[in-house]
This record gives sequence, structure tokens and C-alpha cells, in this order.
Amino acid sequence: MKYIPPLNFSPVVSTDVSLYRSGYPMPLNYSFIKHQLHLKTIIYIGDKDRPLEEYQSFLESEKIKYYHIFMDSSRDEGIQERMNQVLHLVLDVRNYPILVHSNKGKHRVGVVVGIIRKLLQGWSTAGIYQEYGLFSGGMKDGVDLEFITMFETNLKIPRNVIPGFAKHCLYLNELEAAEGSDDESGSESILTAKQPI
Amino acid sequence: MTSKVGEYEDVPEDESRLTEENVSVPEEEVEDEDEEEDDDDDHIYINEETESGREKVLVSHAPQERIVPPLNFCPVERYLYRSGQPSPVNFPFLLNLKLKTIIWLSNEEPQDTLLEFCDTHRINLQFAAINPDAGEDDNPWDGLTEHSIINVLQTIVTQENYPLLVCCGMGRHRTGTVIGCLRRIMGWNLASVSEEYRRFTGSRGGRILVELLIEAFDTNLVKIDKNKAPSWLLTALE
Repeated sequence: MKYIPPLNFSPVVSTDVSLYRSGYPMPLNYSFIKHQLHLKTIIYIGDKDRPLEEYQSFLESEKIKYYHIFMDSSRDEGIQERMNQVLHLVLDVRNYPILVHSNKGKHRVGVVVGIIRKLLQGWSTAGIYQEYGLFSGGMKDGVDLEFITMFETNLKIPRNVIPGFAKHCLYLNELEAAEGSDDESGSESILTAKQPI
Repeated sequence: MTSKVGEYEDVPEDESRLTEENVSVPEEEVEDEDEEEDDDDDHIYINEETESGREKVLVSHAPQERIVPPLNFCPVERYLYRSGQPSPVNFPFLLNLKLKTIIWLSNEEPQDTLLEFCDTHRINLQFAAINPDAGEDDNPWDGLTEHSIINVLQTIVTQENYPLLVCCGMGRHRTGTVIGCLRRIMGWNLASVSEEYRRFTGSRGGRILVELLIEAFDTNLVKIDKNKAPSWLLTALE
């Protein structure tokens, strides 16, 4: 038995939950996905409206939830909202194991992974750029990198569904918010309920 | 640097201090909170309920203190990672991985700072010479010997060594050889193994020598004890 992972396949998070990235899965990859990954969710970031017919039936027979988040490039109008949709899926522990794929697993997935590394894991910008470069074959799309660097959002996620890998970073954020100022109106976190000094 | 490293290590303590001192919980809710702590150890610092109901966490921007992954860092399998040689700037990042073992693929010792780091945090640093039998004739650009590859893979196929980081100077060729042989054990086809290897080799590309080593590697030489192997490996061997 030979396993053929999809193009540009790699784990992104491999701790309490499994998050994978890749290019578009082809029929010769289905056996690997079925036997090795045991996916619950696939998120396709790309411009193809419908999954290929074989892909559709594979997803159905494996009972994998499929989400298509439309993305042409990081210059898209409405990209912020779509990235928020991806983050909502990734921030819910019930969706794992998850595969995020685009067509070649280079730029679009690279943007999504970059945002995860930054917001949920607190990676440095240089580390994010390097990882982006590993999977894009050294091509650094300046617009993508700038988009990752500038990306901020404003999501409220129920605490009990957040996967373990993101907890440490979000906890640091709450600490910073709690220490940062006396303005407590902006956050609902209990950590901001600081005792007066 | 050391104080910074200490800060990260002490996070669990900080958490408890925080619950005691900084968080004011309305008194009638204290009992509830205690019960919940019993329910779930992962949530030591988390009070699941607030007066508004289920508590939500704000996700908005990156923390000010960012962590820096080592050169060519990447997850390989569950709790298994690869990278180039970690330097002190990467230590807070490494602490997050809660490593038990670091495999260092080189004839030379790593930097003193890494030795100290492993010592302080009780990480088992396993040295794997490129060619243990060659003595002083050994060159860093030589390929790993079969003997050396098997040795390292024996560590990798044993769950008790996890979480585990495999690294060499740049995280390219020696690390790539070992991970490539692991992928062969896992039944990956050769083109996919090469694709992964080349991803990390930088602008000068992959070395044919490394790909030949991976292709020629006899996967039966690694003895896998099913009772001690990581579960992802057993799934791959099914």
C-alpha cells in the first residue's frame, strides 16, 4: 500500500487537535486522506465554485463537512469577512481534524495559516514569512505578507470550544489587555476585572 | 534571556496567582467555580460562566510578546517537529512545545546556550553523529550513514520520547534524510517524500545524494514495537 498525500501537504497544528494544509486533493490522494487523516472538516479556500464530481462523492461517502470560502486573492473585496469565517471554523474544537486546502496549497492557504500563526499562536512576523516561503517555493507575494501583517479582527468565541493550541496565546492577550489600561469597557473578559491597586 | 524563559515556564503559576488575586468573583458564584475546576483540569484559570451567561473570548490581534520559531520549523506528525538549530531567541517558542527530546544531527556539539537550555528544562538531548564510525575523517556535508539513520528512527518510533524535535544546522538535508526515511516507513510514495524534502532545502535545491539515501533505505531495519509506537505510526502501518 502506497500513500500519496496531496500536493504541498503538511500538518499545521499537530498537538491536541490536528489541522492540515494542502493543495487540491485529487482522486489518487483519497486513500491517504481516508486512511490517515480521518477528517471531520475540509475548508476549501479558492475560486472553484463546485467541488469536482469525484471529490463531491468522496466527501459524501466519508461524511466530511465541506466549507467553501471563496477567495481569489488577498486583495479581494470582502476578504476580511471570509477570513473571519475561516477563523470561526478553526476556533471550534468540534470541527477537528480539519484540512484547509486551496488549489496548489501555496498562497491562499499560506495567508490563512499566516493569520492563524499570528492571532492564535503569536508567531513572529519573520517566522510567518519564512513558513509562507517554504510552501510557496520561495515566492514571496508582498501583498499576501502585508495582508497577514496588517490583519486584525474582532471575534467573540465561546471559551469552551477554543482548541488547546490557541489557548496560551489568547490568554497572553487577555493578560495584556488586563494590564494595558483601566478602560474595561472594550473587553468582556473576566481577567479585566482587576482589583484596584 | 533567562528571565524571559522563566516567565514562560511559570505560566501555570501565573494563572493561579491570577485567579486568586486579580479576578474578583462574586461570592455566590465561588462554589460553582470550584465545581467546574474539578470537571476540567485544562481550565484552571477559566471561569466558564459570567453574569451574562457563557463567557466569550475576544480574538482580535496578535499578543505583544511574539514567539519566534527556529529556522525551517515545521510540524511533522503529532508532537513531532523538525527545524534548524534553535538559538536563544527561539527558546520561548520551544518551551511552548513542551519538548521531552531533541535529536541533534551533527558531529559537532550544538551551541552552549542550547545545551544549557536542555539542561535547565530537563529536555533529553540526543546526539546523532553523521557517521559514528568515521572518526576524524567525517565531513559535515557527507550523507548520514544507515547506522545513524536507524539509531535516530528508533528514537522517533518510540512514544515515550515525545514531544520530540529533530534538528540539524539548517534543518535541511540531515533532518530531511531522517524525516524522508520516516515517511517511507509510513508508506508514502517516493515523489511525495521528495516533495517534502525539497520544500526545506532552500534556493540551492535538494541533493541527489539525500534522495538516493532515502530511496535506498531499508525500512525493515527499524524495529517498531507496537506497544510503544505513536498511534499515528500504527495507523500508517495498518
